[in-house]
Amino acid sequence: MEKLDIPQGTLDLMILTILSREPVHGYGISQRLAALSRGEFQVNPGSLFPSLYRLEQDGKLKAEWQPTENNRRAKYYRLTAAGKRQLEQHRERWNRATFAVTCVLEGA
Amino acid sequence: MTLLNRLKSVVLWIARRDRAEQDLNDELQAFVDMAAADKVRVGATPAEAHRLAVLELGGVEQIKEQVRTGRHGGRLDAAARDVLYGLRQVRRNPAFFGVAIATLALGIGGLTAMFSTFDAVLIRPLPYAEADRLVMIWDALAKTDITSKGNSTPAEWIEWRRLNTVFTDLAASQPGDATLSGDGDPEQVPARKVTWTFWSVLGTQPMLGRAFTEDEDLKSVRVVVISYGLWQRRYGGASDIVGRTISLNDEAYEVIGVMPRNFYFMPSREIDIWMPASFPGWMRRNFTWHDAQIVARLKPGVTLQHAREAMTSLSLQVTAKDFRGPHSVIVTPLREEIAGKTQNALTLLLSAAAALLLIACANLTNLLLSRGAARGREVAVRLALGAGRARLVRQFLIESLVLAALGTLAGLALAVPAMRFLERLVPEAMGAGRVTLDWRVLAFSTALGLAATVIFGLAPALRGSRVAPQERLRDGGRGTAGSRSHAVQHSLIVVETALAVVLLICGGLLLQTFQHLRNTDLGFPRERLLTFETPLFRYNKDFDRRVAFINAEVEKVRAIPGVMSAGSINLIPFTNFASATFYLLEGQPKDGFAGQVALIRNVSRDYFATIGAQLREGRLFTAADRRSSPPVAIVNETFADRHFAGRSALGQRFQFGELGDKGYWYTIVGVLRPIPESGVLAEAKPSVYRVREQCEQIDDLNAGIVVRTAVEPASIVPAVREAIWSVDRNQPVARIQTMQDIVDRQLSTPSQSTALLGAFAFLALLLASLGIYGVLSYAVTQRTNEIGVRMALGATSGRILVSVGRRGLELTLCGLAIGLVLAVIASRLMTALLYGFRPDYIPTVAVVSVVLVGIAAVACFVPARRASRVDPMRALRHE
Repeated sequence: MEKLDIPQGTLDLMILTILSREPVHGYGISQRLAALSRGEFQVNPGSLFPSLYRLEQDGKLKAEWQPTENNRRAKYYRLTAAGKRQLEQHRERWNRATFAVTCVLEGA
Repeated sequence: MTLLNRLKSVVLWIARRDRAEQDLNDELQAFVDMAAADKVRVGATPAEAHRLAVLELGGVEQIKEQVRTGRHGGRLDAAARDVLYGLRQVRRNPAFFGVAIATLALGIGGLTAMFSTFDAVLIRPLPYAEADRLVMIWDALAKTDITSKGNSTPAEWIEWRRLNTVFTDLAASQPGDATLSGDGDPEQVPARKVTWTFWSVLGTQPMLGRAFTEDEDLKSVRVVVISYGLWQRRYGGASDIVGRTISLNDEAYEVIGVMPRNFYFMPSREIDIWMPASFPGWMRRNFTWHDAQIVARLKPGVTLQHAREAMTSLSLQVTAKDFRGPHSVIVTPLREEIAGKTQNALTLLLSAAAALLLIACANLTNLLLSRGAARGREVAVRLALGAGRARLVRQFLIESLVLAALGTLAGLALAVPAMRFLERLVPEAMGAGRVTLDWRVLAFSTALGLAATVIFGLAPALRGSRVAPQERLRDGGRGTAGSRSHAVQHSLIVVETALAVVLLICGGLLLQTFQHLRNTDLGFPRERLLTFETPLFRYNKDFDRRVAFINAEVEKVRAIPGVMSAGSINLIPFTNFASATFYLLEGQPKDGFAGQVALIRNVSRDYFATIGAQLREGRLFTAADRRSSPPVAIVNETFADRHFAGRSALGQRFQFGELGDKGYWYTIVGVLRPIPESGVLAEAKPSVYRVREQCEQIDDLNAGIVVRTAVEPASIVPAVREAIWSVDRNQPVARIQTMQDIVDRQLSTPSQSTALLGAFAFLALLLASLGIYGVLSYAVTQRTNEIGVRMALGATSGRILVSVGRRGLELTLCGLAIGLVLAVIASRLMTALLYGFRPDYIPTVAVVSVVLVGIAAVACFVPARRASRVDPMRALRHE
């Protein structure tokens, strides 16, 4: 089945959500995104990495090179306090937006 | 995120760019490794897993580029890299960029230098308060032949001041040379007598001391305001100058003020002394004493047009009392008066420089288009590697900007020395040292550089970035020989050729005019003729002493070794358009003199022999023409032809000076070939010459001496001073110069504008032919393959030569035709610079056409010949 496009503006929200549980590396983020979306979303590295770098530059994320469980080295991203605040705000807004969209769709 | 934090993060990112790039590389590598490991875990072979992982990641370079531009400061960072890349390009292609930068430098340098002069003369503020409210008022003398704008009279100034409704005030100034003596060598300095209103009208005050008051002016108090230059030069900038008493024309004057350094006013920047006009009573009532220049300040809200109308009707009313009958006035903006003909010259030259810059830009566009096409492969590779179109356009534009920046710098380096030369175009009535490299000029050239970037860089950037990567990579980078690209290049060639033709034609017309001016018959040979002036204020009162002094000084000068002859005339030829008078021919009614004005000159008997004037009929003055003998006059041909056309003027009588019964009747004894007394560039006016000994009834304040030498005139200058001082030690000797100097100085505006326009036209021709050459040789390189095929199929090298060359010549002829049409329009705009001369278009057009086609033919022939020598075998293997 054809994958869905990631709705505009939601990639950051999903990245922040995934990272809110534990620090993850880039590949891990793309895998978890696919898994959590039941395979509907497949993030393209060409979108993922620019987002990660921008979030890091904005101080929402902090990156560190760490060994993986398979003894490789990978760059792990972790949420900062600012990132947590942003996640809460975005999530709240997203909930309101989806609720609003649902209302419209059902009312119609 | 606050702005400060944002800035900090940008700076950090740029500072750590290399590490960040390495980081990103490692991270992407880790991504592939982990993805491959996962695939191995589900059963893929390691090689297959790696391949799939790389596919999953996608274009590494594209990701990197997106990461780079996605983060803050990414654009800035990329721009910096483009600039560096541009500079690397310059270093890698020194020939290409050398030509490009030189082309641009000529264009920008020329326009910058012309702008600096244009700005200095026509834009920068004059040293008066609200100078655009200042106007000059002249008597309209359209009916007479001397000049259409005449000086006004003090009496008019008084009446206009009393009755006008459009000016806050008016000031009058009169010529008044002054001799300084007593504290050093006697020195003749240019002075003006001005009314006390002068300072308030101009809105300028002395920098030291004060200006004189109405009371001082009316009571003829002996006070003067001096120039900054005189203060420095003669008085060493003494701090106690104000209050000092100096000797002016042998009378004691008190210095009450020093004008600011940058002050100047009509008619010359060299005025050193301003003294009260103190019009005597008779002058205040005399409407015939035309020696005053009037400057006035418009009242707030009054337009020039309104002032013109008001003053015209006022003047007709005021001059109803004038014996010539009522006449009108001419009101002109002061700026126009000060700039004079320079205004036309500068406008023309500025336009020419702008045209040159446009030609340079057209050439650059073509160069970059060719280069852009040749860079197709590079562009295709970049597109394939993930560069966006916007990114490519930006990169091309930044390369152009680098080029423009280097070109502007080189242009400034050219402009600065040129400015020193252009300084000489600043009119004499304006302060010196005005043409400088200041922030205005810098801002202008920066703006030019930016504008040029857009003009020459945009089309190549848009075109160069429009490439379909697959096609271009497939065709091996043979270039986009699209017909549209050719159309652009060809029309640019036509445009630049046309502009070059316009410049060449205008330059040719100016050159013809200049040749004409230089060869104008001045009435006598100007070589080895020294001139100087000896003011006669010491002898003003006593006619006998005056004549004796002049005879003595001429005698002493004649005795100097190397002197062939010497003579005297009150005003040296070409230096003064004043001293004219009405006259009445015998038999004309008493009021018949309206419009009959002739220049009047008083000469010594040997004057005409000294300058070598040519007699048409009659005789020169002889020893028989004495004070006691009947008054005689020599007139010029212009005078004679005006009244006695077709018959001899000899023996005719006329009177002037004191008209009426008191006046002398002069008998014409000779007719001269005309000498344009009022200036080299002016037409000869009707002129009357009298022998000095018969000039008792008028004031004669000046004795000009002309000396014909056998040796270099400059070499006898010390001896001349000694000779004059041996007659009178306190006699100033002023304005020592050769006749050649006088002529050269008057020809300097036309000669410089001709030289400059010629230079612009030459460069335009050079650039246009370089343009043709560049486009054709590029086309040949591009078509090598095709030419090879044609030759393999039997085309002779002659046919190839013709087919390539013809294209270039067609473009040239097209440009020539358009240029000739434009030149007709342009030459209409420069009539003021032709000084009444009507140059012949045909030879100019012929010469320009031949030269242009000839040079274009060479520019076409070289690449065409290369095309015709293409070896078909090699051409077909040319990939």
